[in-house]
Amino acid sequence: MSNTSSNLHERQSGSSTFDSQSSDEDIVLECRNLSVAFEMDRGTSRVLHDVDIDIRRGEIIGIVGESGSGKSMFASALLNAVVSPGRTDGQVTYHPRDGEPVDVLGLDKGPLRSLRWEDISMVFQGAMSSFNPTMDFREHFVETLDAHDYDIAAGIERAEELLSDLYLDPQRVLDSYPHELSGGMKQRALIALALVLEPEVLVMDEPTAALDLLMQRSIISLLSELRDKYDLTMVFITHDLPLVTKLADRIGVLYAFEFAEVGDTAEMVRDPKHPYTRALLNATPNLDAPLTEMRPISGAAPDPVDVPTGCPYHNRCPMATAECEDIKPPMDAVSETHEVACHHWPDVDDEIPLSTGVQK
Amino acid sequence: MYEYFVKRTGQALFTAFVVVTLSFALVRLMPGNPADQLRGQLIRNNPSLSQQEINRRVANYINIDYSAPLHEQYLDYIAGILRGDLGQSISQNASVAEILGQALPWTVFAFSVAILLMFVVGIALGSIMAYWEGSRFDVGTTGIGIVLNSTPNYVTALLFLYVFGFTLGWFPTSGHISSQVVPIVDPLRPVATFQFVADAVYHASLLIAAVVITGFGGVALAMRGNSIQVLGEDYLRVARLRGLSDTRIALRYVARNAILPMYTGLLLAFGAVIGGSAILEQVFTYPGLGYYIVAAVEARDYPLMMGGFVLITLAVVIGAFIADLTYGLVDPRVSTGGDAS
Repeated sequence: MSNTSSNLHERQSGSSTFDSQSSDEDIVLECRNLSVAFEMDRGTSRVLHDVDIDIRRGEIIGIVGESGSGKSMFASALLNAVVSPGRTDGQVTYHPRDGEPVDVLGLDKGPLRSLRWEDISMVFQGAMSSFNPTMDFREHFVETLDAHDYDIAAGIERAEELLSDLYLDPQRVLDSYPHELSGGMKQRALIALALVLEPEVLVMDEPTAALDLLMQRSIISLLSELRDKYDLTMVFITHDLPLVTKLADRIGVLYAFEFAEVGDTAEMVRDPKHPYTRALLNATPNLDAPLTEMRPISGAAPDPVDVPTGCPYHNRCPMATAECEDIKPPMDAVSETHEVACHHWPDVDDEIPLSTGVQK
Repeated sequence: MYEYFVKRTGQALFTAFVVVTLSFALVRLMPGNPADQLRGQLIRNNPSLSQQEINRRVANYINIDYSAPLHEQYLDYIAGILRGDLGQSISQNASVAEILGQALPWTVFAFSVAILLMFVVGIALGSIMAYWEGSRFDVGTTGIGIVLNSTPNYVTALLFLYVFGFTLGWFPTSGHISSQVVPIVDPLRPVATFQFVADAVYHASLLIAAVVITGFGGVALAMRGNSIQVLGEDYLRVARLRGLSDTRIALRYVARNAILPMYTGLLLAFGAVIGGSAILEQVFTYPGLGYYIVAAVEARDYPLMMGGFVLITLAVVIGAFIADLTYGLVDPRVSTGGDAS
């Protein structure tokens, strides 16, 4: 328990460059060479390609990327829940707080069933349709507790507490049917449902996508509170870079099914090193900046069946050289807490200046 | 809820009233006025009858006194129906209410069994087809279902009658029970009751088979489509990740949500099939509602025809009425009017 509180303390002391070194030891999910592939008529579609990343206990990591960059596949792969006929390769190791590490991709049906939701839980894109329309919320909670042999009375009490932590009226929500709640309420109810078995890790795939801006902000602040109260690790997947900077301790940018850059939020916002991250930040709409300064990224995201050789970003990158076309850049350490996959990252400051900074 | 109930009951009563009024008007508009025809018949057969006596008999037969003003006749007719008096049959020598009251249970029995079987078979097949979507079984059953569903049930009926009734002699070709069987339903005499029920099922089996064979395909295809839609829903994926058992997902998630839209269809099918019973009952010489309607048409027995039509329409109206009132109970998304707040 003391371990936990020291972690907590570390997190709250801010995301400066040095204090997360010690938490390198405390990794909750370890991904190695994680790949997801679908066999199709026109070839193999690799929608996640050799991803290595460590998710630390107690952190909130934001995974950012454009549509079709492999974000949702990454989320599903963490729970070994890629829909058939997708094939997940590589390794995902889950380190429980106490006990032996678990090889998530090698689990049998039974243990996998209890790992999901009890240890690693997930909130889906589209909470609107995540509930059975002909069942009230109480039954959703009860059947989940029942399926995992949890004590139902205690579980419902926990659900009520979670719901009120999320600023919902527990009795009213539990006795409602899905169509009787608004989108934001359903989203929060889904988060409560995801946490009712007290998981260690909560994976959220675009949890705010269908919500209005105000609701997005309020969910973000609720998530921070939940993390602190329940000692959660959160993987927050989104296409909304400015949103995630308000929540995450670390940010990983996915491009073409692998990480282009991973680093502490502050560094990623103030001094990103990958040309793609810079372009993303420069493309962020900002009410205060003049329209002429907004720069969309030219070109299109690569086809998962036919990813360019070398650096996958080279044909959209203004800094690309012959080297980029042929040789895939390895992950290079910019600092202790910041890695980037680019041959030319030391020059990026001169080549691509940040025009509109995202306010942390 | 209460308000809706009152409103919906009012609508049902209004529909029934319109139907009764229309059948009254149709009688008045029918070419070759049945009253004149009867009158002519009576005069030809008994030239000695007085005009008064003829009018009395005619009024007795068709339940309408033609010498009275129109609105009075109409009120008499309505009053008769409210008392269950549908007039006197011309061809069957009994009151219309008596004939239909005796025929209706057989029709309801045969077609209820047929429709229930049709839905059970269709829903079971449809779910299996959805689970094995794209398999050879799915493709094959879809093809067979479409072919059977496009076949008119009287064609199948004639075929069954010819093959199983006359050629092979496995099933009776007419009637609703054997002459030596006593119609009795008495829990104190289980053997006789069982004999009677078994014999009734035996006599109705070809008719039931004709309805089921030509109807289950449509139900199966609807169920298949609904199930595939539910199987693709987000909430099903969430349910699987939450670790719910396969049985619970199949019953509480897929089946429940896929069958719901078919509930109204089931209740309306009762009304529709009872209406469509005429041809099938004629083919199998099954003395139910439809059989008597056809007989009435052939014999120009207008009161019996009208009574039959009114009864069929009432069946449809009642089916829809029950469906509307109970749908809110089976589907929480449909609040039964007004109580959404």
